[in-house]
Amino acid sequence: MTKQVPNPNEPKWRSTLRVSMPLNLSYIPIGLACGVLLHAAGFNTILTGLVSIVIFSGGAQFMIASMLTINAPLLSIVLMLFFLELRYALLGSSLSRYLTKETERFKFVFALSMNDENYAVNYLKFATDKKWTPREALMVEHYSLLFWTVSNLIGSLIGSALKIDLTVVHFALTALFLYMIIMQVKSRLTIFVGIIAAALAAFFLVLTKSTLGLVISTLIASFIGFALEHYLKTKKPGSRFLYKIHSPGSKEDAVEDSGENG
Amino acid sequence: MAAVNHWNTTQHLILVILGFFVAFAPRYLPIKIFTQRKIPEWFNEWMRFVPVSLFTALVVKDVFISATYQVDIMHHLPEIVAAVIVGFIAYFTRSMALSVVVGLISVFLLAMVL
Repeated sequence: MTKQVPNPNEPKWRSTLRVSMPLNLSYIPIGLACGVLLHAAGFNTILTGLVSIVIFSGGAQFMIASMLTINAPLLSIVLMLFFLELRYALLGSSLSRYLTKETERFKFVFALSMNDENYAVNYLKFATDKKWTPREALMVEHYSLLFWTVSNLIGSLIGSALKIDLTVVHFALTALFLYMIIMQVKSRLTIFVGIIAAALAAFFLVLTKSTLGLVISTLIASFIGFALEHYLKTKKPGSRFLYKIHSPGSKEDAVEDSGENG
Repeated sequence: MAAVNHWNTTQHLILVILGFFVAFAPRYLPIKIFTQRKIPEWFNEWMRFVPVSLFTALVVKDVFISATYQVDIMHHLPEIVAAVIVGFIAYFTRSMALSVVVGLISVFLLAMVL
């Protein structure tokens, strides 16, 4: 992921910090903006810190802020949050094969601070780095949690003195996800699945008028990818769809390795 | 913006606590269930396509979908152009930090001209 040569003697706290740093830095402007908005919605600083730790989701916290400013009732905010956070079920499901050897306590703590962004970082590490451990993944989660919470607290304290263009800072996360997509591309099939996923996402987001569309489109697109791969591998092993894509400057692609690392 | 919401701190706290439960359940239950049982191989094969599908869906939402959940291209031109730039940067440099930084700079500059 980084161009530096890994130093085997580097302490874990530093190597994991290095891995999580791009994410940590993009959390600073977004966290500040989120803190400012929660302050404007009437949240005090302690509650802003609390919500950043226990919910730890940019999307959810922005939604709380905007729904409070339009005086939405409690139940409808919680219901919206539920639909918004439902996609976390996908993250847990796809990471679970790396967590089978962990204790129940570890899984609980790991789930507490898992979100889209640190999942993206950790999934890529699990897929490309055989030595990547759940413990290191948890450290990445906690670093991102720290940066997110502190940025929210500062945003809440500065309050409306700070003017942040939300559409601009939010693009940091869009860029992060774009990077992750590019790293996932390993064959023509992956590109095809991406195109299907894009079309389905637009369709279901407009249809459901909520982020539930993300969940539905992801489930369908990934299933189409799986079914197509299964069909091609058994019926047409020489298919052009399965051709590998070569990417410049990478010794190791973000190939999701097949099964052996249980 | 003044504080336009009339809720008190206790109500905010209740919201945070309820929000925690609805956010934690989907985070925790699949991990708990899918690490305890023997998962059929086809399920794992399926889940391998989840990241690329989910990240694409998130990008589509950020780049093409408006706050009112409509496809809106005209008002998203800076993001669309910046997304193409980020794609190239990510492909050729394979650096996450560079992708994010270049993305932020380009969307900032493009928002001024487009």
